[in-house]
Amino acid sequence: MATPLSLKELSKKEDRLTSGHRMCSGCGAPTVVKMVMLATDYPVIASNATGCLEVSTCIQQFTSWNIPWIHNAFENAAATLSGVETMYRSLKKQGKIDQEIKFIAFGGDGGTYDIGLQSLSGAMERGHDMIYVCYDNGAYMNTGIQRSSATPLGADTTTCPVGSANPGKVQERKDLTRIMAAHGIPYVAQASPSNWADLMKKVRKAHEIKGPKFLNIIAPCNRGWRSKTDDAITLSRIAVDTCYWPLFEIENGVTKITYKPKEKKPLVDFLKPQGRFKHLFAPENEWLLQKAQEVVDRNWDRLLREEEFTAPKSE
Amino acid sequence: MKKILMKGNEAVAEAAIQAGCKFYAGYPITPQNEIPEYMSAHMPEAGGTFIQAESEIAAINMVFGASACGARAMTSSSSPGISLKQEGISYLCGAELPAVIVNMQRGGPGLGNISGSQADYFQAVKGGGHGDYRMIVYAPYNLQELWDMTMLCFDKADEYRTPVMLLGDGVLAQMMEPIFQTPYKKPTLPEKNWALTGCKGRQPNVIKSLYMGDGELEQRNKILQAKYSKIKENEVRYTTVNIEDTELIVVAYGISARIAYAAIRRLRNEGKKVGLFRPQTLFPFPEKQLRNLSENKRFMTVELNAGQMVEDVRLAVNGRSEVLFYGRAGGAMITPEELYEKINAAL
Repeated sequence: MATPLSLKELSKKEDRLTSGHRMCSGCGAPTVVKMVMLATDYPVIASNATGCLEVSTCIQQFTSWNIPWIHNAFENAAATLSGVETMYRSLKKQGKIDQEIKFIAFGGDGGTYDIGLQSLSGAMERGHDMIYVCYDNGAYMNTGIQRSSATPLGADTTTCPVGSANPGKVQERKDLTRIMAAHGIPYVAQASPSNWADLMKKVRKAHEIKGPKFLNIIAPCNRGWRSKTDDAITLSRIAVDTCYWPLFEIENGVTKITYKPKEKKPLVDFLKPQGRFKHLFAPENEWLLQKAQEVVDRNWDRLLREEEFTAPKSE
Repeated sequence: MKKILMKGNEAVAEAAIQAGCKFYAGYPITPQNEIPEYMSAHMPEAGGTFIQAESEIAAINMVFGASACGARAMTSSSSPGISLKQEGISYLCGAELPAVIVNMQRGGPGLGNISGSQADYFQAVKGGGHGDYRMIVYAPYNLQELWDMTMLCFDKADEYRTPVMLLGDGVLAQMMEPIFQTPYKKPTLPEKNWALTGCKGRQPNVIKSLYMGDGELEQRNKILQAKYSKIKENEVRYTTVNIEDTELIVVAYGISARIAYAAIRRLRNEGKKVGLFRPQTLFPFPEKQLRNLSENKRFMTVELNAGQMVEDVRLAVNGRSEVLFYGRAGGAMITPEELYEKINAAL
């Protein structure tokens, strides 16, 4: 029987990503990865795109991974794992292996939204039995906080710097979760480490579904967000409560919002504690602040309607 | 003129802007991140365009597009990213489009590491992409040359309608030193009457690298080879230090030449007859010049790799004299003391 999803029981389990890695203090990513792997009792094989998580967990001669782990280049965590997963299926078919093994690809938003999108899309379309987990911190943090297509509207980064010509990033985020849903794969979900039980339930559910699955998980980065080092969980909670990062799942085309905040907080609650949005509170950028709120409202509203629209018809 | 303290990557970016680069597309990779960062902040002021692409492949193809429209276009990256650009470089050569490609080399193969290296010599000078093509490759050894050669890259790219590579490394990219910001002087260059600028009032221009007709592609290749011969004839650059009375000539380029220079100076002070030959262009390679020196002299090639340029030195010398090699691969640095010992032992 699977370990019950209680903190007491989970705390007895061995971490599959051990401490001693070199991720920055207060980084959200290792917390997310630990939760994902703690959620399941199955043996897991992981692949990793280039990024903070990869470079900081395999410092020469050492590894923080207590599981088989493979890294190739930046753009191909999904393709590399496709190869591993196919080999596993082949060996299973040949009767050379009988163990049930689960496959997880981890990538940051740069390696997933941008350069890795092609290989991710290919893996999902071919139908490999794997979960792709994107830990989304909204920029290329590993190389020095350059914008990515996951960087939120208005954010200051080193390649969309705030100045007289530019009020930070002028484009909206790419809605990757929805792009993955459009692949028609059996399971797509969005999660946050602030809602750990919700996150782990989603991982569990995904593991029980055959075929390709995608999880997008918010992972605050205090270096890039210019927030306090003890704020990762708080900020991810505010992201959920402002509906900037809604928690939902799309299972076989049915959308379900897994957490609806009792009171939807204003987006400024999420933006204010982050230095990357500091300039938005200058009078000349009020329009951008407004636009950012409008984008969140529009997406949340669409999600609510989508949930209603896709709900199974009652008898 | 006052000297200004700059970082290598920033010197490249500023020199490019002053040389009239109007289009830059890049993608994050260490150790060249300051180039796109600098471009993102300063291109708008210069009336140019900065785009952060979604991959290195996208960036080189954006450069293809901008160059086809007649703009001075540039991209930069570091070794693994340059690998991804190879398809685009082959297409630029095939379509005869000028472009500037900066490679701040890091240790390889694979993801390697992020320290300085010279492991991409083969890739740069022998054609990392497919097809019979060549690229002009400049190898700066200090920040002043980084500045001057960046400007030169744009001129030579336009003059020959070909991509030009500035082959730096992680050390030059990240170090700071004072330089003269030599103002850009545009030479007389052929008009870009081949560019796609809208064909109202003239015949449409065609830019392509696909030639399917019988014998057509062979003809194209002949034209390209004629161009490369002309480049070999006219564009060789190199410098030498104390080679007249020497027994042993150290051949080194870029950052390893700088290390070699320190070692050689010490040996010279001790009365040892050692000199330095430093190619500034890797293609075209100063093969004639090296051949002419090969009488009664031995060579030692020094590189931050397992031995790449040494093959070209051996080809140039063609068995006339001994060619030794010392190098360290994988992003490892040679110290002047270490090289002093190696050269001294070879004397």
